[in-house]
Amino acid sequence: MIDPAWVSGLSALLFVIGLAGAFTRKNAIIVLMCIELMLNAANMQFAAAAVHHGDTTGWVYTIFAIAIAASEVAIGLAIFLAMYGQHESITLDDVNVLRN
Amino acid sequence: MEPIATPALDFAPYIILLPMLAFPVILFLGKMFNGNKMWKDGLKEGGLIALPVMATSLLLALWLVTDYVGGAGRADTSGWTWFTSGMWDSGQTTVSEINLGFGIYVDHITVMLLFIASFLCLLINTFAVGYMNTDPINDNRNHRFYAEFVLFCSGMLGMVLADSFLWLFIFWELMGLCSYLLIGFYYERPSAAYAAKKAFLTTRVGDVFLMVGLAMLWSLFHPHAGAGQGALDYAVVFDDQNIKAVAETGSSTLAWALGLMFIGAVGKSAQFPLHVWLPDAMEGPTPVSALIHAATMVNAGLYLVARMFPFFGSDYLYNDLADLAFIIAAIGGTTAVMAAAIAFVQHDLKKVLAYSTMSQLAYIFTGLGAALYLANTLHWHEYLPDGTKNPDYYTNHAIVIVAFGAALFHLFNHAMAKGMLFMASGAVIHEVHHAHHHLHPHDDHHEEHPEELLMLANYLHDTDQSVFGFFNSIDLDQSGDVDTYEFQKALKDADIADLPPWEMQPLMQALDMDGNGRIDIPELELTLGRIHLASLSGGDGHHDDHHDEFDAQSMENMGGLASKMPLTATAMLVGSLSIMGFPLIGGFWSKEGIIANTWRVVRDDPRFIYPAMCVLLGAAMTGFYMSRMWLKTFAGSPKTEVAAHVHPTNTWIKIPLFVLTFMSLGAIVLASMGFTHWAPDASYAPFFDGEKSFVEGLVYEMNHVFANSKLFFLVLTYIAILLGAIVGPGLALSLYGGRLDEGEEAMPWFGPVLAINQFVKGRYHWDNRSFARSGFATALENRLYFDHYYDMAMLKIVAAFSTKAAEADSSVIDGTVKTIERTSQQLSTGLRSLTTGSARDYILMAAVGTLALFAMIWGVVA
Repeated sequence: MIDPAWVSGLSALLFVIGLAGAFTRKNAIIVLMCIELMLNAANMQFAAAAVHHGDTTGWVYTIFAIAIAASEVAIGLAIFLAMYGQHESITLDDVNVLRN
Repeated sequence: MEPIATPALDFAPYIILLPMLAFPVILFLGKMFNGNKMWKDGLKEGGLIALPVMATSLLLALWLVTDYVGGAGRADTSGWTWFTSGMWDSGQTTVSEINLGFGIYVDHITVMLLFIASFLCLLINTFAVGYMNTDPINDNRNHRFYAEFVLFCSGMLGMVLADSFLWLFIFWELMGLCSYLLIGFYYERPSAAYAAKKAFLTTRVGDVFLMVGLAMLWSLFHPHAGAGQGALDYAVVFDDQNIKAVAETGSSTLAWALGLMFIGAVGKSAQFPLHVWLPDAMEGPTPVSALIHAATMVNAGLYLVARMFPFFGSDYLYNDLADLAFIIAAIGGTTAVMAAAIAFVQHDLKKVLAYSTMSQLAYIFTGLGAALYLANTLHWHEYLPDGTKNPDYYTNHAIVIVAFGAALFHLFNHAMAKGMLFMASGAVIHEVHHAHHHLHPHDDHHEEHPEELLMLANYLHDTDQSVFGFFNSIDLDQSGDVDTYEFQKALKDADIADLPPWEMQPLMQALDMDGNGRIDIPELELTLGRIHLASLSGGDGHHDDHHDEFDAQSMENMGGLASKMPLTATAMLVGSLSIMGFPLIGGFWSKEGIIANTWRVVRDDPRFIYPAMCVLLGAAMTGFYMSRMWLKTFAGSPKTEVAAHVHPTNTWIKIPLFVLTFMSLGAIVLASMGFTHWAPDASYAPFFDGEKSFVEGLVYEMNHVFANSKLFFLVLTYIAILLGAIVGPGLALSLYGGRLDEGEEAMPWFGPVLAINQFVKGRYHWDNRSFARSGFATALENRLYFDHYYDMAMLKIVAAFSTKAAEADSSVIDGTVKTIERTSQQLSTGLRSLTTGSARDYILMAAVGTLALFAMIWGVVA
């Protein structure tokens, strides 16, 4: 099998890419995708750890994280829908009602 | 001395509490019912609430007095503790305890002043009801007067009954406040407001010294105060063992403390150099002058000095306080002569009495100074400090006690006489004022133009209508004249007044000149034109100027009132004789005592020649100015038309005068009972310790005064009588007064007085005009320029300092606060810039924050 260390490294890389994307992208849906990427990276890390330690606990965490990620996306998309209804755009820069 | 308890003592706090509680009651009821007819006529705007309160206080006080007079002992109760706070050290043992409570202390000095205060408060309250409520200028504000009056009374009674110097001070300040409020009663007058401020600030200067003195006293006695006792309690401070302990280490500090406290008394009792407020205090209504500035508040200073007697009398401070006693006497002597001199040139009746008060209080200070000196320099206790019996005990004890008693007796006589004199002068001024109004009524001025016409004139002016145009508009049937109905409608349409027909009558009559019941154009024009002219010349101002020209208080406008106001004239005669020290009346018994004792001290201490000469000179001067006052006001012929129309005063005013006349005449009774012996000595009973009967006492006193066994005092007494009763008054008799006019009848006892007056004036009259115009007289009229110099000092020193202090306050202190404000604002503005509202920035901040947290938790550096 693949050395779990490589998986960890990939997960780290993916996490950083996702983080960078969440910082820099204007489009709210892209930011959501980046957040998903981060979650995915975390999941990958859990899986790698589970394999490395041979402990089923790691797999349990993975399942939980997937479920939570899915529900979070649903809620996030609902928020974006409401946001679009209010501001007529999903560019995060345009939504600065809480400024100052 | 054993404290004795009587049921009267349980009720003693009510003497103070009842008036104090009456204060808010009268004030609130007065505000609520202001203008209500029942309140005004029935309750006399609070006067008839104050009167029973003061009567109750008097009754309770009399109960206390009768229980204590002759009862050996004093009472000292810590009746009521407000709070106690203790400080403990680590071992849970009490290190020191502060006990704040109020108690009653009664000894013979207390009892005397209690009687004076409560008695005079009641009488002057009666006087005030007759004085204040019959003068329309006071309408609808008397409730303020009576409220402040009862508050003052509670202050005086509280001070007298207090059981510690602290409470004395508290009530002292309360009295000062009430004095300020009452002098400034007519606050719309700038002179009154100025006088009130002056009085308060001058006494305040004294009070600062008093405070420091009390603080020093506290620090001296604090180590010796027992548990639960304040260091300023009389029980602590007068305790002989404590005084002994203090005298060993801090006798000079004690002397300084007492000296500073004395300065406080100087301020309160208007002695040199803090005397400048008393003449100006006459701006207040006469009852205020009578009560506060003659009979009670100014006695507070004397009371304080009298309370210092145990220090002076203690053998452990032998000879340490002699200098202070001399200072007290010296200031007394100086003020006596100075005030008497200024009284020579006063025209205002109340100002003469004010200076007289100052002078007589100075007499009492001199007497106290002499008594305290004797107490301090003679061994007058039963046992000497080293334990042996004192061979001179009986003589020295009597000397000290009688000296102190003379001063206290003079306080008593003066309070009664001066209160009466002020009330009598108030009666005179009141009646002269009334007579002036009867002769020169100014109400016509207003009745000429009914208010509606004034409003009509204004209306025409505001709407820019001519009289002609207006007339035509209101003449509805175009008949050429306006009848009642049309005029009524016109007034209603112009929103001036909606009058029923019967009220239109006077209005029509004012306008209708030919009496045909209708108004035509010329009549309307003429009346409105007159109104216009009157308003142009400032009608009201003209009225006031004329009003103020006549000074109802000036003796120049009086004269010959002995036949017009017999009771008042009698009261004033008796009062003046009492103050002058005329033989056998009132102040004579005590004044002779003071003069004798001051001269007694001269034999021991030559420095005392100064106050001693002052008292003798003052006696002559007192005789002069009091006689001058009486003669100018009551003898001779009326100097103005107004004086000729004066009539006697009302019953409310007469009652106190009547009562106090007998009190002044009755001083001989008190003297026969041995007042000068038992007033100061708590262990002495009346009637010379019960040994002499009334007649024996009378004989003894007469003997003591007129036929003294010692030549020195015999000569002295007769010199004093000569000066005070013959030289002084004689000079006045030759200058002022004279026989009453033809056909004027006066009371029989005025006969001899006026006959002597006429005789002396006829034969020995001399022209004093050169004196009156001299430089010295001018200086006296300017009150010896004290006010001038004090004002300069205030301006140059105090005002300059306070300007600098104000600048420092606004720049330094406000500056600091503002800098803090500004900095905080800048900080917050800076922080606010973080909240951009942009979600991206927030994600960034969240991530960075989390990273920082992890770094802190796991440690960045390994």
